[in-house]
Amino acid sequence: MIDSGPPRSKDRNLPAARVPLAGRLAVVLACGVAFPQTSRADGDALLTDDTWRYRSAGDLAVDGGLVLGFPAALPTGLAKGIGAGVTTGQKLAWGARASWVTATESSLPWTVTHSDLRLRITGAVQKEAGRGTLGLRLGLGGTLVHESRVRNQGMRAGLSGTDLESSAFAMLPAADLDAVIALHVAGPWLLVTSGGPSVDVLDGKLHAGWNAQLGVAWQP
Amino acid sequence: MMRSAVVIGSVAVVGLGGLIGLAGGCSDLSGFGGAVPPLATVRVEVTGDFASVRVPGPIQPALRVALVWGAQWLTEPLCILPPDDAGAAAVIAAGCRDAFGFVPDRVATNAPLAPDGSAQLSLLDLPAPDVMVGDVTARVAYASVVVYDDRDGDGTLTLGRPNRLRGREDDRPDDQATSTKDLVYAASFVSMTEPDTRLAFREGGFNTAAAFYPRSGCGDPLPSFSIVSAGGFSAQDALAAQLRGALPPEDPGACREVSTDVPVAVVFRAPAELHELACVERRTDSSIRYREPPADVPDLTNRTTGCAKVPDFGSGKGSGMIQLAISGRSDDSCAGLTHYVLRGCREDALCELPDWDITATPPSWWPCPVQAVQ
Repeated sequence: MIDSGPPRSKDRNLPAARVPLAGRLAVVLACGVAFPQTSRADGDALLTDDTWRYRSAGDLAVDGGLVLGFPAALPTGLAKGIGAGVTTGQKLAWGARASWVTATESSLPWTVTHSDLRLRITGAVQKEAGRGTLGLRLGLGGTLVHESRVRNQGMRAGLSGTDLESSAFAMLPAADLDAVIALHVAGPWLLVTSGGPSVDVLDGKLHAGWNAQLGVAWQP
Repeated sequence: MMRSAVVIGSVAVVGLGGLIGLAGGCSDLSGFGGAVPPLATVRVEVTGDFASVRVPGPIQPALRVALVWGAQWLTEPLCILPPDDAGAAAVIAAGCRDAFGFVPDRVATNAPLAPDGSAQLSLLDLPAPDVMVGDVTARVAYASVVVYDDRDGDGTLTLGRPNRLRGREDDRPDDQATSTKDLVYAASFVSMTEPDTRLAFREGGFNTAAAFYPRSGCGDPLPSFSIVSAGGFSAQDALAAQLRGALPPEDPGACREVSTDVPVAVVFRAPAELHELACVERRTDSSIRYREPPADVPDLTNRTTGCAKVPDFGSGKGSGMIQLAISGRSDDSCAGLTHYVLRGCREDALCELPDWDITATPPSWWPCPVQAVQ
């Protein structure tokens, strides 16, 4: 027996429920064009012209977000964490920032985890451009590094004490130079991203790195 | 006013930390650097008269100590079954290593031997899983402390391989022999048939029924690294125990399980007694690689040959099939046997569908009967 395929719309005895989708869409579109009406939901719309209106009256801005960067004292790795800051001022602004990031890397004998608490006093020059603000921010301060080292295979070998793991703290002088882009989104809220090079002093030598942050800011 | 207080407070807190950083700069961080503590340290004390066992050489001996993990090895049947005749006995004596001897797998670490006969071996890595025997819940590795003259000057104990002859159309590169110039002068674990001291690494439980360099009747090795000793057993006791399905018992009085703080004592011996400590085995499961005899006579200089029946363990499959067993050269650093059969397969001389069968036309130099007299 030969299959004749699905029935076509021109078949006179075809049930209504089996009219092809394209045909039904054409009917709906034709009705929409012929009988235009205002939707009942339009009067209580969630989005209005005021929705994306922003206000920027104050000098104070508080921001926070996710931070990525190069570890302050490790020769490799990607540190991840959170950061926050407060800034006051217009074209010239100053403030303070803090972030906490952590990175874990391994060599053959060691697994090393560094947690960096970065504390900075910042000064910035910034300029408004449309809904956004562009700025260049210099931060000076210190990075408190907590190091945790574990001897690989040490637990299986029965090592204990400092032979197995050790920890240390260090406070490193550091500086960051970040390019900052802030975009007013709605009301007092901004989307802020920043990034740039950083440097700290480790064992008397300069240790270069970078930082980047993506977050939100509140500017009442 | 409120906003200023927020900013000033934040700056004060963060700034204090920052200023400490600027002023301080102190660092006790190590990162990936610094000294790496060894996972275990084995102290070695060598005694005896080296001059009395020294093999003269062109240069001054450079004595070093190596820690060598052992392989799980089973001898081939020809080497442990009673020989058919004197010829077979001769080739077994020349080509078989000690069936109960320590078989090295790989060298873990080396250290120079101090003039006072002491050395310190630092293990920076655990034994790899392939040198450990057992499953992940109960496995163990054993190592022998080997004192050697580093004649090739490479700083490590070089392990050799038996020198076997090739078969017809046999060009496998992995059959190349490796000769070692290094001479072994002392070892803590030479054979299970004599007293031994070994480094053990035990992970998890300990399987007392395992036949991996067994110490039946002794205590379990301590968890992780330990030094264990045993008094040894005779080959006859081992074979008798094997027939009973048991492990040969050790003298409990000679057993010892101590931490690695206790030094390992070894005594200088003649290198001729210890050369197998520097020889690895390609096959560790008692299997044999059979070869088709070449058309032309192989170089049999300094080799011992013997004709022997192919072992069939009483199954009757052998039907008196004869193999030609050839030892390595007498000046080779490692003992080994080459097995030629006129009919068979590479892995099984008694295979039903042979890869070769030249029983009707054996090579002109073939010294053995085609088939043993039934």
